[in-house]
Amino acid sequence: MPPTKRGREHHARQAHAAVVGLTPDVIAKRTKRHLDELERANYAEPSALAGDEDDEGKYTKGRARQLISEKRVFNIPGVKKKKSTMNVRTALLYRKNFATLLEESNIASLPPTVPTYLTAQAPAPTYPPRLICSVCGYWGHYKCRRCALPYCDLSCESVHAETRCERRVI
Amino acid sequence: MTVIVFDNGGSTIKAGIVAESSTDEARIITNAVVRSKGDKMTYVGHELDGCKDYSALNYRLPLEKGYIVDWDAQKAIWDGILSDEVLNVNPTDLTLLVTEPYFNLPKIQEVYDQFIFEEYEFKAYFRCTSASLIPHGTLFDKPGLPPPECMLIVDSGFSFTHVVPLMDGKVVWTAVKRLDVGGKLLTNQLKELVSFRQWNMMDETYIMNHVKETCCFVTQDFKRDLETCRSNPKTNAIVQEYVLPDLTKSKAGKIREPDDIPLDTDQVLTMANERFTVPEIIFRPDDIGLERSGLAETIATSISLLPDDLQGMFWANVGLVGGNTKLPGFRRRLTSELQALAPVDCDVGVYQSADSALDVYRAAVACASAPDFPQRVVTRAEYLESGSSAVRRKFPDWQVPERDLRPGAQSAAAKGKGRQREESESAGAKPTRARAVRLSEPQASAAKGKGRQREEPESAGARPTTAARTRTRERA
Repeated sequence: MPPTKRGREHHARQAHAAVVGLTPDVIAKRTKRHLDELERANYAEPSALAGDEDDEGKYTKGRARQLISEKRVFNIPGVKKKKSTMNVRTALLYRKNFATLLEESNIASLPPTVPTYLTAQAPAPTYPPRLICSVCGYWGHYKCRRCALPYCDLSCESVHAETRCERRVI
Repeated sequence: MTVIVFDNGGSTIKAGIVAESSTDEARIITNAVVRSKGDKMTYVGHELDGCKDYSALNYRLPLEKGYIVDWDAQKAIWDGILSDEVLNVNPTDLTLLVTEPYFNLPKIQEVYDQFIFEEYEFKAYFRCTSASLIPHGTLFDKPGLPPPECMLIVDSGFSFTHVVPLMDGKVVWTAVKRLDVGGKLLTNQLKELVSFRQWNMMDETYIMNHVKETCCFVTQDFKRDLETCRSNPKTNAIVQEYVLPDLTKSKAGKIREPDDIPLDTDQVLTMANERFTVPEIIFRPDDIGLERSGLAETIATSISLLPDDLQGMFWANVGLVGGNTKLPGFRRRLTSELQALAPVDCDVGVYQSADSALDVYRAAVACASAPDFPQRVVTRAEYLESGSSAVRRKFPDWQVPERDLRPGAQSAAAKGKGRQREESESAGAKPTRARAVRLSEPQASAAKGKGRQREEPESAGARPTTAARTRTRERA
């Protein structure tokens, strides 16, 4: 009976449309952000960071940033307190992160024959990635249809759906 | 000449005084300014030993990705080490030996010079990478044999892992490879796994680092161990219970032994497949989505870039240094993976000392005691005379070729980009002679250089070469 068949097809299509998988570039972005997080000195939830009261690095009225190396005076034998040179003051006061320093160093424009930080990166893998369950760490034979994180069985899937699913995605 | 050594690592500084008589061990000092939430105190470097409350420590690390970026924090920590609280030395009559990361950026290298000579006023100093010190040490010593001419150092520390081949004591920079997996990443990954599966430990960097150091190991058979943990989750050969420190009585956490009496108040972390899936990242970075090949393949790639007839020597002399290589099973796993990758006629030899975190320090002490060391240092007088270029001339390690460092080079190259575009546009419209003449010569050559680097690296410099000048005319 043709009408019934059409109806079933229609339902199938609807169900399919309800689950929209993530595009590969969104997944790549998510992986990159996760890797950046793993590089942080104090890797914690963003909420914990927001409430972080830190008296260093604050600007106080009428003067530059309070320096920890100035605040904490150690007694080094034979060294008298003196004014630091301009170069040293600059390095102490103006902190740049590594990405900025790397860009400013201009090593990207060196000829490719010169070995640099950029050329020294380990080669890309020659084997396909292993899928590890994002919940329990066992082989992840299945992937979440929404966010493509691997999981291993039904119980891990439900844990994943309740907690992590799409959390990491912006 | 008295020398002091700073092996300036991302997590700890191994510091000490080199004296003829004594064989002092290194002082291991945390390379961080740590703020404790518990007692609201700030601990600089060595002061952390006096900290009583290890929960929720906030770390301010001077090094980012292995490179010094926070000189304020670094100076505070160095001040503390030199002060009467640790080494108690007067820098103005000392020589300093300090380690730097591989491929250190030229601008950062200059800041080292400025701090050491302008701020601390050391009499002389020597700066080099960790691996280049290893030939002075005893890592490859075999009774009755001279030290090998070719060696390959695997330096796996807090910030990253490097594969560094050396020939005749010199680093072969074209074959150095870096894997962005270090102890910090492993600790953070463990923190994340445990926080998701059991207790929230996201703020407990200090404790989780201790858990990593006591519980984690490198598996010899990932599949087998994963199945073991799966089949019998509560009792198997791998699962361990780590009793967290309760922060009132016991200072450090520990693994629960079978005959320990469990207390109701104990908070326990169950360490199952976390024990080996975390260090596994060094061997399979793609497990966390880092699309790089593992350590063994990276070593194979590095060796393939070396002269054909010497490659066998590198396979036979692999040395492990750095804290990560202390993980149990690391050496065995790497040896077996390398044996699978090495050509059939090559023997694989992997060397490791009892404490691989201190190899570099010990080698540095040996280097500083060598009779030719005074000739290798840069003195303060030399620096005051010709600045950082005196330092560049003398130090053996990697640096950007001098011509690329000239003050004009950078700005000219930056302008070059814009100019190049402008030029090609105008060239498309109607190239005039006046256009080419208006370009000042260094800019012109830099612009040209950028386009032609591939065939002729020589023209990349700021100095206008005759070739570049001729080409300018040609196009005009």
